[in-house]
Amino acid sequence: MTGQRMAFLVASVGGIGFFAMSVVVLGVWPGRELDGETRRMAPEHALPFTASELRGRDVYSREGCAYCHTQQVRWLERDVKRFGKPTLAWETRFDFPHLWGTRRIGPDLQREGVVRSDDWQLAHLFAPRTVVPDSVMPDFPWLFEGAADRPSQEAKDLLAYLKALGKARELAGAEGEAKVNMADMEGMGDFHSGPLNASAAAARRATAHPAIPEGTADKRALEIYAHNCAGCHGAKGEGDGPAAKALAPHPANLAGHEYTPDRIAQTLWNGVAGAAMPAWRDLPVADLSALIAVVRKLETPSAEPAPPQQIVDLGKQVYDANCSQCHGENGSGDGPAGKEISMLPANFTTGRPGVAESLRVLREGIEGTPMGPWNRRLSEAELSAVAYYVRSFYRQAR
Amino acid sequence: MEERREHLVESELVYAHSLAAVVMLFVAAGFGFLAATELVVPDVAGGSQFMSWGRLRYDHTQGILFGWLGNAFLASLYHMVPVMTGRRVTSLSLGRLLFGIWNFLIVIPGWILVLNGISQPLEWAEFPVVVDVFVMIAVVFAIIQFLPGFFRQGMENMYVSAWYIVGGLVFTAFSYPMGNFLPQYVPGARGAAFSGLWIHDAVGLFITPLALSIIYFVIPASTRRPIYSHFLSMLGFWLLFFLYPLNGTHHYVFSVIPMTAQKGAILASGLLGVDVLIVVTNLVLSMRGSGWFPRDLALRFVGTGTILYLIVSIQGSLQAQMDLNAAIHFSDWVVGHAHLAMLGFATFAAAGGLVHAWRHVPFARFNRGVMEMAYWFLLAGVALMFTDLTAAGIVEAGIWGSAAPWLESVRAAKPYWALRMAAGIPLLMGFLIMLAAMLTGDRPAVRSEDLQA
Repeated sequence: MTGQRMAFLVASVGGIGFFAMSVVVLGVWPGRELDGETRRMAPEHALPFTASELRGRDVYSREGCAYCHTQQVRWLERDVKRFGKPTLAWETRFDFPHLWGTRRIGPDLQREGVVRSDDWQLAHLFAPRTVVPDSVMPDFPWLFEGAADRPSQEAKDLLAYLKALGKARELAGAEGEAKVNMADMEGMGDFHSGPLNASAAAARRATAHPAIPEGTADKRALEIYAHNCAGCHGAKGEGDGPAAKALAPHPANLAGHEYTPDRIAQTLWNGVAGAAMPAWRDLPVADLSALIAVVRKLETPSAEPAPPQQIVDLGKQVYDANCSQCHGENGSGDGPAGKEISMLPANFTTGRPGVAESLRVLREGIEGTPMGPWNRRLSEAELSAVAYYVRSFYRQAR
Repeated sequence: MEERREHLVESELVYAHSLAAVVMLFVAAGFGFLAATELVVPDVAGGSQFMSWGRLRYDHTQGILFGWLGNAFLASLYHMVPVMTGRRVTSLSLGRLLFGIWNFLIVIPGWILVLNGISQPLEWAEFPVVVDVFVMIAVVFAIIQFLPGFFRQGMENMYVSAWYIVGGLVFTAFSYPMGNFLPQYVPGARGAAFSGLWIHDAVGLFITPLALSIIYFVIPASTRRPIYSHFLSMLGFWLLFFLYPLNGTHHYVFSVIPMTAQKGAILASGLLGVDVLIVVTNLVLSMRGSGWFPRDLALRFVGTGTILYLIVSIQGSLQAQMDLNAAIHFSDWVVGHAHLAMLGFATFAAAGGLVHAWRHVPFARFNRGVMEMAYWFLLAGVALMFTDLTAAGIVEAGIWGSAAPWLESVRAAKPYWALRMAAGIPLLMGFLIMLAAMLTGDRPAVRSEDLQA
């Protein structure tokens, strides 16, 4: 009997010992290390979630977002190139419970906060395929009151949470990055990430882009447009795609404008800061070339007769008095007042609106930007004159 | 096994848990099928929050874990434990209470709460914390129900199945709170370290030991020959309980969790493959002479489960290695792996135990021909599902490693997702056929062939 008792004791202690060892070696000890890393690398001031962000996090949890989107950029070049800086321990310290995830059907969201505009996020949550035609993401209409631009509190909270993803790291800035001691990150690669794909906000004011030749608007090019652009800009480029209504400013009316190939390349590469237009620099250059051709083909420029001189003079007078502060003296969108607003004012030297489009904008303004309606301040003759006048800047040297 | 101890079995509980298991298997797989369909036709749910992908996904795996495997294991335990110990289980009333808790306080409310948005976003722990409390109670009840007989009988007489049952139940009681409660209090990366442990412990300390206890039980019961080597059995058992818990961190390779822990877990994952090779060699040698497709369906199910166990474990050892993990982690490859483990190894082992126990229930009908049909449907379904998802994973990994936009991987996966959805059809049919096999045919008094097979 003693032998049996001994065996029982040894087996129990052994078995429990194995389990205890696993918890210590893979749970408790790594936890202590991660605590140490957090203390050494975290910024001075904690940035915990706000009440709204926490509620949004609950929505994110309950809808299973973490089962298609990770929040964990691995220390691998292939992750860093796509999703930005690898996740540090301190970035996750307010996550009860963690939302790392182990499956990616959609992209990682660790740095999502700075990537997309608010209206894009809401339109995408309400009906993902309106903005991303090939997406398989579920729609979440129960977070809205019937339309993408009428979010319920839950959708607002979820948006707040999405915008918080990666915010602390962003705010930590260069000073924060300097605290990342690679000696602490044993065996991890030291990767640096460039600008994030799709990130327009991070590319604010950026105009640099590689030379992208104009391709041909063949069948394949039209398919690329249909799969990537038509959701917002509409099948014919009239800015009336299924997502258009939910976005402020509305997507550009490509059919109502002439654009220089370089302007299109710049916009595709950098996106439009302050609007829902993402950067498309992750598309192959051949696809971007094809899209330039498609956008140029969508234009339906009406051959406008040159206006009489007196109209031109009136247009210039109105423009100089009312528009040049933002749009610049020579229409290149670089007026002194334009520097401080979220979205760059229209640059008429690289994009020429048709008269009808111009008049529409002058009468209605552009929702979501400081461009207001001018029909109460200007007479019909003045509106018409300035609509013609802005067309004259196109392809003019700045 | 000892002769004729079947009269000690509480057949009522075998019957109830078996039926609940197969019905819940169908429902849980139905959640999976709906989720798979939504990847192919995303708008099929019509914007209903109760049918949205995330919630279905939670209910799918929790349903398989608790509804199907939990009930099937309990059904098998009610047969195996009295036969091994020569004693009745602790209490019939406790059994009825456990059945009620398991099904009416865990699985069904868990499903309903998840669909209504009350859950926790932790893998293999998606039922809300309130349900987890009842799981803990149920596990303790199961320990009280099944283990005293083994302890009374004495350790030197314990067969390897008994070791696995004791280990499985006791360590589930330890590891369950670690995965289900701890991450609510330990944040971020630190919590993830524990979460990773539980993800692997759910498989390694709950499902695998109980599935192996069934395989080790059914083989000698069916072949009427002792297991090939008791030494290899026990070596496999101790290595398994040593190595399995050390695997957890391999779910977070290249994460911020200390590299030493990651590498240790990867090493343990490699060694685990060696251990499984030992276990499977012993099991296959014990089945020698029975053929690849034995006439005894319980033996056929556990035999197939054994082979799938080998494949999934070797695959697991390989995919934990850093180079392969860097590429295929986060892809459908892992989903294929999970299906091979749960739908292949665990489901075939559980079905073997269930068939074996069911055939001894004096008042239960059993239709061998129909059950054989279910076997083929299940085998075809899991083979198609696994092959398809593995291929999808390789395609996704290739695109992720290139400069192509993310959406390319979604577009490329769509045909594979369609085929995966199609693979669900033979599976759902197979589960229904399984149920039909248990509701038609003769009762044991009339049957002779399958009991003495």
